[in-house]
Amino acid sequence: MGAIRNEIRRLRFEHGEMTQQELAEKIHVTRQTVNAIEQGKYSPSLETAFRISAVFGQPLESVFHYSDGE
Amino acid sequence: MSFREKTAWISVLSMSGIYGIYFWSVVHYGSRARGFHLGGLLGTIVALVVVQVVLTVAVAIFSPKDAKAPCDERDKLIALRSMRFAYSGLATGIALACFFSGFDPPIVFNMNALLFILVTAEIMRSAYQIVQYRRGA
Repeated sequence: MGAIRNEIRRLRFEHGEMTQQELAEKIHVTRQTVNAIEQGKYSPSLETAFRISAVFGQPLESVFHYSDGE
Repeated sequence: MSFREKTAWISVLSMSGIYGIYFWSVVHYGSRARGFHLGGLLGTIVALVVVQVVLTVAVAIFSPKDAKAPCDERDKLIALRSMRFAYSGLATGIALACFFSGFDPPIVFNMNALLFILVTAEIMRSAYQIVQYRRGA
């Protein structure tokens, strides 16, 4: 089964050690949702994924990666 | 723990406890007058509302920021999945109640059976919300 992995933790660190709460407020979700996304437990909607990419000024494929489990 | 997970815990615990007492009393004092059941049910509903409001306000006071935050997409997804899960329990319970109503039980039994099914479905909904919040989604 495939999984969506992401670079959010690294990108937060590179953007002035942005907290999960700060990111959550920028993309209009709760801190717990950011945490779940970061840990790969929850795959965000396309809209939220684009918002996260926009916050970090990165293209979507630089933030999220799809792996098919191989 | 998010505010919505806390409210789900409040719902599960308060409903299990308060309706548990009600259903225990119905089974224990089942042969009493019909008025007893109506009074007991009214008291149960009032107690449940009071307990849930007090606990929810208390939780909101300790985490006001979380309490004010609107539902996000994950909260909505969890709510929808939980509703679907609880619906399966509700539908099964109603089907069983319809089957047993064919044996012509007393009206008090029918009323309490339907109430029990409704309460069980509501507890299933909140419990499944907790499970999903614990898993992450």
